[in-house]
Amino acid sequence: MEFFPASFSIFYQFGNAFAFLVISCAGLAVIFGMMGIINLAHGEFIMCGAYVTASTARAGLPLPLAILCGTLTAALVGMVLERTIIRHLYHRPLDSIIATWGISLIATQAVLILLGPTMSGTGTPLGSMEVGERSYSIYRLALFASAVGLLGGLYLLFYRTRFGVIARATIQRPEMARALGVDTRRVYGLTFGLGAGLAGLAGGLYAPTMTMVPTMGATFIVESFVTVVVGGADIFVGAAPAAAILAVIKAALTAWYGQLFGQIGLLVAVIVVIRVMPGGLSAFIKRWQR
Amino acid sequence: MNPIELPDASKAPARRGLKLWLSRLEGPQTMGRGPVFWAVVVLAVLAAVSYPAFANDYVVGNAAYFFVWTFMAMGLGVVWGYCGALSFGQTAFFGLAGYAYGVITINIGSAFGATWLALLLAVALGGVFALLIGYFMFYGRIKGVFVGIVTLSVTLVLETFMAQTAGPQWRIGDARLNGFNGMSGMPPLTVPWPGGDIMLYSGTALYYVLLGMVVLCYLGLRVLLNAPFGNVLVAIRENPERAEMLGYDIRLYQMLAFGLGGALAGLSGALYTAWGQYITPSSMGLTAAALPIVWVAVGGRRDITATLLGCLLVIAGFQSLTIYGSQYALVVMGALLVFTVLVTPDGLVFTAINRMGRLFKRVRR
Amino acid sequence: MTRILEVAKLNKSFGGVTVARDIDFVLEAGAMHCLIGPNGAGKSSFFRLLLGEHAPDSGTIGFAGDDITALRSFQRIRKGISVKFQVPGIFKALSVRQNLEIAFQYHLHGASLGETVRRVLEFTNLTGEIHTPAGVLSHGQQQWLEIGMAVGVEPKLLLLDEPTAGMSPDETRKTGEMLHELNARGITILAVEHDMAFVQQIARSVTVLHMGAIFAEGDIDEITAHPGVQEIYLGAADD
Repeated sequence: MEFFPASFSIFYQFGNAFAFLVISCAGLAVIFGMMGIINLAHGEFIMCGAYVTASTARAGLPLPLAILCGTLTAALVGMVLERTIIRHLYHRPLDSIIATWGISLIATQAVLILLGPTMSGTGTPLGSMEVGERSYSIYRLALFASAVGLLGGLYLLFYRTRFGVIARATIQRPEMARALGVDTRRVYGLTFGLGAGLAGLAGGLYAPTMTMVPTMGATFIVESFVTVVVGGADIFVGAAPAAAILAVIKAALTAWYGQLFGQIGLLVAVIVVIRVMPGGLSAFIKRWQR
Repeated sequence: MNPIELPDASKAPARRGLKLWLSRLEGPQTMGRGPVFWAVVVLAVLAAVSYPAFANDYVVGNAAYFFVWTFMAMGLGVVWGYCGALSFGQTAFFGLAGYAYGVITINIGSAFGATWLALLLAVALGGVFALLIGYFMFYGRIKGVFVGIVTLSVTLVLETFMAQTAGPQWRIGDARLNGFNGMSGMPPLTVPWPGGDIMLYSGTALYYVLLGMVVLCYLGLRVLLNAPFGNVLVAIRENPERAEMLGYDIRLYQMLAFGLGGALAGLSGALYTAWGQYITPSSMGLTAAALPIVWVAVGGRRDITATLLGCLLVIAGFQSLTIYGSQYALVVMGALLVFTVLVTPDGLVFTAINRMGRLFKRVRR
Repeated sequence: MTRILEVAKLNKSFGGVTVARDIDFVLEAGAMHCLIGPNGAGKSSFFRLLLGEHAPDSGTIGFAGDDITALRSFQRIRKGISVKFQVPGIFKALSVRQNLEIAFQYHLHGASLGETVRRVLEFTNLTGEIHTPAGVLSHGQQQWLEIGMAVGVEPKLLLLDEPTAGMSPDETRKTGEMLHELNARGITILAVEHDMAFVQQIARSVTVLHMGAIFAEGDIDEITAHPGVQEIYLGAADD
């Protein structure tokens, strides 16, 4: 094999894994980093986004718009759930996690009851391209670009907009923000909605590549958990490099030993990381920076 | 107010051995004390013992199935309720031990009580695996939600692993793992008996064996939780820093409690496999992992009695709903979980027992 | 006199912040010593280093003749160090009796455990509250309960982090009497304290910490008259 096709293949594998990790963990990481809540219904928000995207796309909407529909629907559902359930549990973070698991059970099974065990999806768009002897899905490359774009967008949102500044202030010093006249409840509501929307976006982006089943959210769960745990509380400092490192591990193991070992490798990595640096990468990097 | 009651240990002869352990059936870490409580317990056990006389074999087998799960619930009660480490992945130990029971019994058969040896080994495996995970978590100073995430990830990865073992190369001795379809064909628990072994298929005999195990496990946990070990677990839950600064190696205690929880989940898993001669990867999946949380949360995690009763009640309710389809039952479980967390965070059964206890006291006065 | 605590060249910094700078500190057995200094002087960090909650960057900590620098917190406690935190470190959901039993059961069992609990209840004036959940005790009672938890099994060294914080004058006086009684029983006491009146009530000798380093050490009257000490306190008050 020539040098270029070989290195392209490696890049493709890595990019694929990186995109999956970043896109699937973003929503979880925002809610966890900002509110300290692990949203166990994360997978179901992804499922929600995927279902809406697939059905609107099949109804004739262009894919990007369909993905937007999926994202917004998930965000809306997230905000409603925050209002009705999560809001009452902020002072009991562990209980709020349990509650999201209850929501997850309800959502999965309700979709199963209402829409049946599978739904037809949409095909993967954009076709494929040849590099060397192998062909690669262009959509997968687009997903990699989306992941990079997503990180950039979130960075801008949290560091360059008014909402971002207020949100970060609220998270760091809730009493102080309240004293300065910030409606912290609204900030939490919006943050939860944002996290749910990002999950919906993940579902929308991956909808063309997956089978639509009510339990499809579970496919994302392990990867997104692992990335958030390795990354630690700060999504920018921690989650992005965590995704990069884990993507290398996963891509390498998947290429050599198959999907399963990719996943086992992630799990071993996470256990080693928390043993070596409690608080995750972000705590480690922050300590090293000082 | 009552006259002050001083600890009179200095006057009482020091309790030793069996007597000391029996005295720990009652204590600060468990609800229920005094003759009335124990009379109710004895009546409940007697009712359970005489139950098969009034019910048909199918219903009795079903009740035995309820018992199978209680060990995992009580184990989670210890880990979560008493030690304060919220494990989302007890099903990992359940599934591991369930598969282990299958693999061992398929390979060594059921003669000479070998199934009991398999049960023991499977439980030990569940416990050792939990100790290992516990070592990495607690010695890695993992706390709070991260314990939940790591344990949940472990069980989901195990599910994925087992689901892809469909090929013929995935066999351990004579036992094929069979991937997604699950493993079957293992013998049930078998009691060696002169003139023909007694196979404990789902039915009255198995019911009695399991009832005995539930009672023993419940009483044993009461003793353990009221012993110094249980006191330290509660201390760690309430204030880990203080507990360490009283001279306790809290990581060791957490790891041991987690190992115990894993062994109990393993007991449920091995018994489940023996009960139905069947186990699948989905027993370690996301939905399966949620159910122990529902039982323990709804029952009440801070007390082993509430956990046990809650578990039995919720499973019975779940089963009666399954007539309409398991997806409906699961929706109800999810709703029950959300409701419990919002309205009675201490658990429905726990709150109910407490209210009744208070009412009872008021009536007596 | 034997030395119970010997700290040599202890250094610790977090990032750019130095919380312990070349601390040399010796405590004689039987002493009742106070550690004072303005906010942020490194008093609490010094305690955390002694307790093993932080590992020092360099330096050694000797206790009763052993080097304990590498020991973990619970091992140091088992050697005979005991601590009462600033914020009452009690098990609020548990009864007073359970709190005490948990505190002593590592060393004591059965009858001697019951006897010790009874003695400590008497000592801390909590006999009437034996079944009360610790969280509903008054603030002063919570502090006493924690002192009781710390001294029931007669430690060699008792560390107290602002034992009278938030106490009424009457409670403060009682606490001082308790500490004198404990000291008379042979327990060496090292206390971080803000309230100078209380320091005068309990301590014969004090050490002043400033910016992570020992600034002055000596007799209580000497120290209060020390112009530099007054200056750092006043300087800190300006902040």
